[in-house]
Amino acid sequence: MASYSHVEPLEHSHEDHPPAPHYSSRVHPSILGMFLFIASEIMLFGAFFTAYFFVRVVNGTPWPTPPYHLPVYVAFINTLILVTSSFTMHWALQSVKRGNVFGLRAGLLLTFLMGLTFLITQAIEYSRIGFNTGDGAFATIFFCLTGLHGAHVFIGLTILLFMTVRAFRGHFSPEDHRGVEIGGIYWHFVDVMWIVVYTTVYIL
Amino acid sequence: MRNPLRSEAEAFQFLIAVIIAALVIVGAAYLNTWLGVAATVVAVAGIVWWLRQEPDPANRTE
Repeated sequence: MASYSHVEPLEHSHEDHPPAPHYSSRVHPSILGMFLFIASEIMLFGAFFTAYFFVRVVNGTPWPTPPYHLPVYVAFINTLILVTSSFTMHWALQSVKRGNVFGLRAGLLLTFLMGLTFLITQAIEYSRIGFNTGDGAFATIFFCLTGLHGAHVFIGLTILLFMTVRAFRGHFSPEDHRGVEIGGIYWHFVDVMWIVVYTTVYIL
Repeated sequence: MRNPLRSEAEAFQFLIAVIIAALVIVGAAYLNTWLGVAATVVAVAGIVWWLRQEPDPANRTE
C-alpha cells in the first residue's frame, strides 16, 4: 500500500494539477468577460444608431412619418418601470453585501417582475402601434432599435431568473455575490441603452 | 479614470449620470433645437469629465 505521509516540495506541487492562473488584469476574469461582452454590444447598438442617424438626419425622413404616431406616454411609463428596476437591482446587491437575505431576494424578484412588465408592455405596444417593419424606413428603424433593446431585456431577464433562483436557494453571501454583481452590471447597461433609445426615438 | 463597468455600483452611478444628461438634453431641445444640440455637447463633455475622475475607493468591490 502506498504511503502518502510525505509532503511534496512546493516547486513540484503543480505536477498533479495545473498551476494557478496568472491574472494580468486588475479586474476579475468574470467581470472582464462581461466588460468585453458589453463593449461588443455597444458597437452593435452603435451600428443601429448609425442607421437611425442616416435615415432621420441625412435622408431627412419625417419622424414619425405621417400618419403614424409613436406611443410616447406608454413608453414613458415603461421607461419609469425600467429605471425603477435598476434601483431595485442596486438595492438587491447592497442587501447581499450587508447580509440582508430578504432584501436580496425581494430586490431580485421585483427587478425580474418589472423587467417582465416592460417586455410585455412593449409586445402590446407593437401589436397596437398601427405600422409594421415594411412600412418605410422610419418603421424599419423603429422596430430594429426597440426590438434590439427588447432582445437585450429578454437576455437580462434570463440572467435575472437564474440569479433569483440562486438567491432563493441561498447561493449568495456577503463574501460571495459575484453572480449578482455581474448580472447587475448587465441590467444597468440595458437600462442605459433604453434611456438613449427612448430619448432619441420617442422624444427628440 | 472611472470605469462604469467595473462594478455594479459604478454602473448604477453611470446610469444616474445618463438619466440626468438625457433630462437636460430633452429640456433644452424642447425650448430650441440648437439649444438641444448645445446641451448634448455639454452633457457628453460632462459625462467624459465625470468618467475621468478617480472613483471613491470605498465604492470599489474589486
